[in-house]
This record gives sequence, C-alpha cells and structure tokens, in this order.
Amino acid sequence: MVETADLVVVGGGIVGCSVVHQLARLLPNTTRIVLVDRGPIAGATSGSSMGHLMVTPDDAAAYALTIASVRLWRDLQQRRGGFHYQATGALYLADTDADVAMLPVLRDQFVARGDSAELLDARQLRDLEPGLAPDLQAATFYPGDAVVLPMLACGVMLREAQAACPGLVVRPDCAVLGFDRDGDRLAAVRTAQGTIATRTVVNATGVWAPDLAELLGQPRLPIFPRAGNLAITGHHGTPVRTQLLEVSYLRFAHGAAAVDPTRTDDRGGHAVNVQPQSNGSCLIGSTRQFRGMDRTLNRELLHRSLLRAQRYAPGLAAAPIVRTWVGLRPYAIDKQPLIGPWPPVPGLWIAAGHEGLGITLGPITGRLLAQQIAGVPCDVDPTPYLPARFCA
Amino acid sequence: MTDARVLDADVGVVGAGPAGMVASARLAAAGLSVVVLDEGQRAGGQIFRQLPGGAPHPARGAEPPSHARGDTLLAAFADRDVTLRRGATVWDARPGRLWFEQDGASWLLRCRRIVLAPGAYDRCVPFPGWTLPGVVTAGALQVMVRGFGVVPGQRALVAGSGPLLLPTVTALTGAGVEVVAALEASSRWRALRALGGVLGNGGRRREAAWYARRLLGAGVRLRWGWTVFACEGDGRVQRAVIGKVDRDGRPRRDTARTIEVDVVGAGFGLVPSIELGLRLGCAARFVAARGGHCLVVDGAQRTSVPEVLAAGEICGVGGAEVAMAEGDVVAGTILHELRGIAPPAAAGRRAAAERRAADRLLAAFAPLPGLHELATPATIVCRCEDVTLQQARDAAALHGTSARAIKLGCRAGMGPCQARICGPSLQALAAGRPDQPMDLPVVQLPVRPVTTATILAAPAG
Ligand SMILES: Cc1cc2nc3c(=O)[nH]c(=O)nc-3n(C[C@H](O)[C@H](O)[C@H](O)COP(=O)(O)OP(=O)(O)OC[C@H]3O[C@@H](n4cnc5c(N)ncnc54)[C@H](O)[C@@H]3O)c2cc1C
Ligand SMILES: Cc1cc2nc3c(=O)[nH]c(=O)nc-3n(C[C@H](O)[C@H](O)[C@H](O)COP(=O)(O)OP(=O)(O)OC[C@H]3O[C@@H](n4cnc5c(N)ncnc54)[C@H](O)[C@@H]3O)c2cc1C
Repeated sequence: MVETADLVVVGGGIVGCSVVHQLARLLPNTTRIVLVDRGPIAGATSGSSMGHLMVTPDDAAAYALTIASVRLWRDLQQRRGGFHYQATGALYLADTDADVAMLPVLRDQFVARGDSAELLDARQLRDLEPGLAPDLQAATFYPGDAVVLPMLACGVMLREAQAACPGLVVRPDCAVLGFDRDGDRLAAVRTAQGTIATRTVVNATGVWAPDLAELLGQPRLPIFPRAGNLAITGHHGTPVRTQLLEVSYLRFAHGAAAVDPTRTDDRGGHAVNVQPQSNGSCLIGSTRQFRGMDRTLNRELLHRSLLRAQRYAPGLAAAPIVRTWVGLRPYAIDKQPLIGPWPPVPGLWIAAGHEGLGITLGPITGRLLAQQIAGVPCDVDPTPYLPARFCA
Repeated sequence: MTDARVLDADVGVVGAGPAGMVASARLAAAGLSVVVLDEGQRAGGQIFRQLPGGAPHPARGAEPPSHARGDTLLAAFADRDVTLRRGATVWDARPGRLWFEQDGASWLLRCRRIVLAPGAYDRCVPFPGWTLPGVVTAGALQVMVRGFGVVPGQRALVAGSGPLLLPTVTALTGAGVEVVAALEASSRWRALRALGGVLGNGGRRREAAWYARRLLGAGVRLRWGWTVFACEGDGRVQRAVIGKVDRDGRPRRDTARTIEVDVVGAGFGLVPSIELGLRLGCAARFVAARGGHCLVVDGAQRTSVPEVLAAGEICGVGGAEVAMAEGDVVAGTILHELRGIAPPAAAGRRAAAERRAADRLLAAFAPLPGLHELATPATIVCRCEDVTLQQARDAAALHGTSARAIKLGCRAGMGPCQARICGPSLQALAAGRPDQPMDLPVVQLPVRPVTTATILAAPAG
C-alpha cells in the first residue's frame, strides 16, 4: 500500500522544522504532514551553527523580517521553552577608526527603526563586561538579540507541531531519491523508505536545495555553500556574558560578497562573533569561505578568528577548546532567502537560502510559507522572497 | 606564554604504556631516534603505573607477577636513548606530524613513522547514583591508589565486569581498604568459557593464581552474576544496592539488598582510545568483545594509513601481554621499513597467539546488554551536559537513533569529554538497540582539549 500525505516537507533543519511547526498550527489538525530528512533532525547546517537571533537594522525590509521572527522565537520560549533561550543582547565592538565611527551609525539605525540601542563609553563598557580588552573605548549595545540552541529548538517545534496535528510524521534517516509527476503536477515522493503519494512538497534542504530542484527536473537554484568554522570552549565559565560581534560583521556577513560563490580560489574572511552558552562554554566564530561542499577545517581561518576573538576577550587565550567544526551556510546569490511557490511545478514550494540568518529567520520563514500554502494573508510582505524571481 | 617549538625524530610514539615502551625501547636500541609522548607524569601507562617521583609502591608485593616484567621494562626504558616527554598531550596529528601541548607550550613533532599506543579508557554503565561523589570508575580508583597513593575510603564496593576488577580489589586491599563486596556481572558459566584463554597461557595462569591468593588472603569473595543496582547517599555515597543479574545482565530486582560503603569502584571493561587514529584517517571496525571500535591493523601492525602503526588496546582491548607483543611487532616493522632489517617471524606469531588468548578470555566479559536496564528514566546518562535517560530517549524517538542524532537531540556527548564517557552506552540506552554497533564518532580538532593559546602557537607542519 502506498503511503499518502497532504504535504511532504523535505529537510529537517531549522527551516523545515519551522515550516512544519507553522503548518501544523495553521492547517486543520487532520492534515497529514510528513517531514523527511536523510540524516538526523538538525543534523546538517542547523546543527553546526551558532544560535544567534539577530535583528539587522541596516535595511527596512530585513529589519521587519528579523524582528518579526525574533518575536516568534520569544513567543515559543514563553509557551514551551526547552531550547536554552538566553536574552543576552548583542554587543557590537570595533578596533579601527573606521569601525569605531560605525558604532553610532549602527545605534542610529536601530533608533530610526523605532527600536532602541545604546552607545557605551569605555567606563560603561567595562561595567557591562569587565572581561573585555581594557583599551576598547566604545561599543553599541542592542538588547533585543538572543541566543538559542538550534538543535533543541528543532525538537521543541516538532513536538509542539505533533501536539497540534497528531497526523504529523517525522522521519529521520529517510532520503528523498526522486519524484513522480502526473503531467505538470507532483504525484509522489520516492524516498529511501518507500513512496509517499502527495501533491504538495516543500523543498527545505538548505545547501542541497539545488540538488532537490534537479531531482525534479528543474534548473539548479542559485544557492551556494558558504563554509564557516566554529570552535567551542569547555565549561569553564565564559570571559563575557553578552554575545560579542565586531561591528564589521554586518557588512561582512550580509553585505555584497566580495567574491563570486562559484569561484574556487576564495581565501575567505572572518569577523568576530563570541557567544557565551548557558552551560558555561563559549562559541567562537565566525569565518566565511566559498569552497564547495568541503567541510574540512580551514586552520588558517580558524587561527585568524581565534586571534581576533582573543583581541577583544583576552580571557579566551587560556580557555580550553574542546572541539571545532565546519558548517555550510546556504548562500542565495542575491542574499535574500527563497520563500514561496515554484510556479513551473504546481504544488512545489521552496524555503531555503538563508545563509547566516537561518536560525533567526526560521520561524518567520515557516510562517510566511504556511500562510501562502493556506492561502491566508502574510504577516510580512513576501514579495522580495518569492522564488519566482529566479524563474527564467 | 606559549611559543612554537619543533622536534624531529625517526619515530613518534603516543603512549608510554606497555605497547609504546616495548616498541620504543627496541627501536632506540637499534639506533633510531624515538620520542615518546604521554599525558601522564610517568612511563608505565595504566598497568605499570608508578607513583609520582617514580617511588616504589608502598605496599611491596601488592603487585602481580606480571609487574616484574614492568619493572624490567621501565628500567630498560630509562637506560635507552628514548626521549620520554611527560605531561605531553597530543591534540592533533597527520601522517608524519604530531602536535602536542606540554607545560603550556605548543610543540610539533615531525617523524617518519607514527606509533599509536594510547591505550583504553573505562566503560561506564549508568545506574542510579553513579554520579554521586565517592562513586568512581574502577580505573580511576586504581589511578588514585596506585598512581597517587590516595586512600579513597574505608569500605569499598567493587562491581562491574572483566579481569580489571581483580587489580582494583587488590589495589584497595593493599592500601588497607576493606572491600565489602566484589561483584562480577558475568555468570560463572560464561566465565568458564574464558578458562581456555587463561589455562593455555602460562603468564595468565600465574596471574590468575596470584589474584586468587590475594583475594583469599584478604577475605574477599568474588560473586559471579551480581552487580550494583544503585548508589545512594546524602551528598556522597553511603549505601549501595546490589543484587543478582540474569544471563544477559538484566537486574533481578527481587534479589536486591543494601550494603553500607563509602567508596564504589565500577568498571564494566574498557573502550579503546581510537580518537587519534580516527583523526589520522585510520580505518576502524566494531568488535564488541574488544571493547567497541578498534583500529584495523595488518599482521605487521600497520593501520590503513601509510606510515602510521598501532599497538595495544587501540587495536582492541586485550591486556598488557597483547600490548607488549604488538609493540614488539611494531618495532620489527619499522626496523624493516627504515633499516631493511628483516622482522623476526616469531614476534608476529607471538602477538597473534596473545591476541587469540585475550579474545577467548574477554569473550566471557563482553558487555552484557541487560545492564542497560539498571538506569531509570531519571538517571543521568551524560554527566558533562546533565542529560537524563528520558531526555536521551526522547531525542532518539524524534531526531533519529544514530549516536549522532541522539547527541543532536539532547546534547549528550557534546561536553568536554566529547562522548568518551557516555558514548559507548548512549546509543544502546537511548535507542534501545543494545546489539547495534554504535556509529563511528567523528573526531575533530583538537583530539584532547587544549587552550586557544596552544592552538594559535602551533608550529605549521
Ligand atoms: C558556522 C555557522 C554559524 C551560524 N550562525 C548562525 C547564527 O548565529 N544565527 C543564525 O540565524 N543563523 C546562523 N547560521 C545559519 C543557519 O545555521 C542556517 O541558515 C540554517 O541552519 C539553514 O537551515 P536549513 O534548514 O535551511 O538547512 P539545514 O539545517 O542544512 O537543513 C537541510 C536538511 O535537508 C536535508 N536534506 C538534504 N537533501 C535531502 C534529501 N535529498 N532528502 C532528505 N533530506 C535532505 C539535510 O539532511 C538537512 O538536514 C550559521 C551557520 C553556520 C554554518
Ligand atoms: C585505568 C586503567 C587501569 C588498568 N589497570 C590494569 C591492571 O591493573 N592490570 C592489567 O592487567 N591491566 C590493566 N589495565 C589494562 C591496561 O591498560 C592494558 O592491559 C595495558 O596497559 C595496555 O597497554 P597500552 O600500551 O595499550 O596502553 P596504556 O597502558 O593505557 O598506555 C597508554 C598511554 O598513552 C597515553 N595517552 C593516551 N592518549 C594520549 C594522548 N592523546 N596524548 C598523550 N598521551 C596519551 C596515556 O596517558 C597512557 O599512559 C588498566 C586499564 C585502565 C584504563
């Protein structure tokens, strides 16, 4: 007997889990949703990332999207908890004249959005974070950011979804191998554990979204892996309590990429991101490099990022590093996520391409996609994120 | 402050236990330059453990006959032109390169051959109260008593499975601790099968007889088919619940009784320490009776990676005799490769025979699946991250049943020990698949925790 489903979501990362979470809350509770992932839930990019919920003020649309998502995260924390949510805020630091000059600009951007942020002088900075390098003269503090543990959050979302929608099936270790079509429309998903008849499929496979598009006979989506090294320290207490970022991070991470993602000679770059965890360990990032699906550690970049982190938080020099790893951010060529239908294949939806903001944007992505699928008005204008922009 | 240092040698050996000592003494005697790196402060590894300062053991005669061999080995080791680097933690490797931290300094050893002899560590089986102060692994108890001369309590319970319970008991009685109970989870019948491995081998026969006499002398009776069900106490262990287990190790709750103790050594065998091998890219396979994942080696102790050899417990738990015999083979192989000296065939035959004998012996003590029923839902399974069995089961039910999926779903194994403690039991416990081999762990830099400063100061290789 062939299994049937109203909807199959492919990809159990933060995006796929958020999509399922929001669908289960929006669609009738009799809807049969199947979530499949070829590995463990949260086993790919979402399980190798920092869980910084980051509000970006530099552009109005990006601000609207990130703030809406961070609010959904806060709601989930209040309703359920269980994913190490910490309202740490973010402390933006600088050590060159040009970057120091950016600190008030950043503050003004938050204020211009009707939000609030504070410019700290040397003394205020020392009071807030005595563990910072003593020569730092200023910083911008934004209180609205938070930190979560993405893997646990995926589990919390899926459990809440199962409670809302008992027909939900979560199937790890189940790779999608191909699709059956019925004319234009989708007819079934072929997986490693059998065929599922369905007319609706969500491609939430992050850096693999182009591969899945190809399996559907579609052109590859313009999403490219952008590697990031991370290191984590032991539970020895963190030298700082607030999450630290270099102010250049925003430009570095979200600004125009200096290199073409298809090139193979990218030497990569980094901007400091230090994230104290609730258990007394500390994540140290973050680097960016285009080099295909290669997940071996780039030692030179790791060294550079550790050195820079130590420059701001000297206490890190003595901290034992217990592990390092590499994650692949799904970088969309125009730096906007793809959220919405794929018109050439009726019944096919896409939610992918969030680069370094997928944890932040998971909930709002799930919501915008679920709202489009359910045919109800969207919380935020979805136009800039419609995948149709890449249809020939 | 850390600064960069580089060393060159013909051979770099990780581990100054029996395997590493035999290999390096022979290589040095043949004129090769050898550097041995060991985390510990003394040579000897786990078995020929010396007190700090190399002082003779206080309770002379408290060590079994095999230790005479250890003394000879240590003396020879001291004479040879072997550079032993104590307190040296190897944290990264690739063929021909070993990065280590010693006294806060960051070093690189460049060598033509790497010998991996890093031994094994204790297998933990979680039971209620196993994280209470005063409850330690059998190995840690030996380290305390034999390595540091610490007397950990007055009334001890030793429980677990395998030959290592015996030295744990004698170490305690030798230090004047009363061993209230010594419990072996395997049944006497299962153990009978092991007799082949003991009786056929002179060294093991003498060793077994020595232990039997010591236990008798101290009035300690080893109870077969018994184990510890739980430990209890206010702030530290004061009582232990013990009882019988069935053939598969399942607790028979109706036999439970409580005894008063102030220290508990629990040792359910050993797990090969293969992380460095994995980091180097060496192939490994799962052999339950040898403790889990072991490096794959050929008859000349070569791993799947050129110029990387391995000996001792890293190739599968087998004991000191196996380790020494394999260390000898390693030396022969390297002398052949670097000096063109034909290896003695006898060495290989002896190592193979020791391995067979050890396999027969240890088959009787292969991990019993039923012991995983000792833990209750509230029992901590990962002590680094404080994860309970229930949380691990929930993770397995949702995220997937591989060790990696469970780790992602509840954080178990993500702490400083990197699953060395909980890993071997986690998958069986949480996914309820006791016979399923665990998936191979992914080892990332650093293999052992080292400071940011050490990583930054590491000489480029
Ligand atoms: C080092 C690093 C740090 C980061 N820090 C942050 C941060 O602080 N804040 C933030 O907001 N974001 C951060 N990110 C970005 C964020 O992690 C990603 O944007 C996000 O995880 C992407 O989620 P996803 O669900 O699209 O992809 P994934 O988590 O990769 O999920 C895709 C899933 O699809 C599955 N899949 C693929 N192909 C198939 C198939 N054929 N069949 C079945 N399943 C399939 C995969 O197994 C995978 O589980 C960071 C990323 C990295 C690498
Ligand atoms: C705690 C403990 C107690 C034991 N007690 C006994 C006993 O009493 N009687 C008995 O017959 N057998 C005992 N054994 C078994 C014994 O370990 C083996 O039979 C034998 O010692 C194996 O020899 P080996 O050379 O393979 O490893 P080991 O003797 O374990 O030597 C390995 C050495 O490598 C070092 N090392 C490991 N990793 C690194 C690294 N990354 N960097 C630097 N150094 C490293 C360790 O510090 C250690 O000194 C014990 C085992 C353990 C774990």
